[in-house]
Amino acid sequence: MVLLSAPRWLRSRLTDRFWRVQEVLKYARHFRGRKNRCYKLAVRSVRRAFVKSTKARREKKRFLRALWITRIEAASLEHGLKYPAFISNLLKSQVELNRKVIADLAIYEPKTFKSLAALAQRRRQEGFLAALGDGKEPEGIFSRIVHHY
Amino acid sequence: RYVRQLQRLQLLFSPTTADARGARQFVEEAALDFARRHPDVVLYVSPRSGPAPLLVAEYLNGTVREELIANKTSEEIVQLVTKLAGQSGLDIVRIRKPFHTDNPSVQGQWHPLTNKPSALTVQGPRLQPQ
Repeated sequence: MVLLSAPRWLRSRLTDRFWRVQEVLKYARHFRGRKNRCYKLAVRSVRRAFVKSTKARREKKRFLRALWITRIEAASLEHGLKYPAFISNLLKSQVELNRKVIADLAIYEPKTFKSLAALAQRRRQEGFLAALGDGKEPEGIFSRIVHHY
Repeated sequence: RYVRQLQRLQLLFSPTTADARGARQFVEEAALDFARRHPDVVLYVSPRSGPAPLLVAEYLNGTVREELIANKTSEEIVQLVTKLAGQSGLDIVRIRKPFHTDNPSVQGQWHPLTNKPSALTVQGPRLQPQ
């Protein structure tokens, strides 16, 4: 609304203040202390909370990957394999499962995970034979590479 | 077959106030086209001498959504109404995961005793398998 002369604008009053304050306070309701009640403290806290949540989205990916790796390591140690051996042999056998899926299998399908661990172990033994045997032994079965093109 | 989730649209506005002008133009021009193009949505137009003009949308799962249409042009109301007609009545919140299962485990969830040998199979110097 355009007010044409200066002394008139002194008569318009702010009537929305309650809702403007509530817009900020609604994001601060679960905070601790006075910052969940007092607007002046809440503004700062809410802004910092938003900034932190934006930056944390990048960290979340790293954190979850580390969690999956820990879980796969624990599960493969139950079957007698260490994590680097497990993952490298699985990749060499052309099983391209990501860590999220393998971690979920280890939790919800333990028998499938056991068979994956057995596959990785077998490929590991074949790798050792190929490297150390150097004889006329036949090549390993699980070391064969399938080309999909 | 597609079932439209929007059940009814109630258009409540006053025939005199200035902020209901867009609503009145919508009713005069575009409401019939909208009703013809969406035959499964019931459109109620009720003039009332009350406060601001309101558009109430009710969905098949019971959610009622009220939108203010004060000081909106007829085109904006048309866009709003087509948007509401395409929505379902689910709450508009952040979905935490795009997947959900009631049976996450087929082989039985892991517990600390899954990969341990049981007393039935232990071969020790004294223990015999039963």
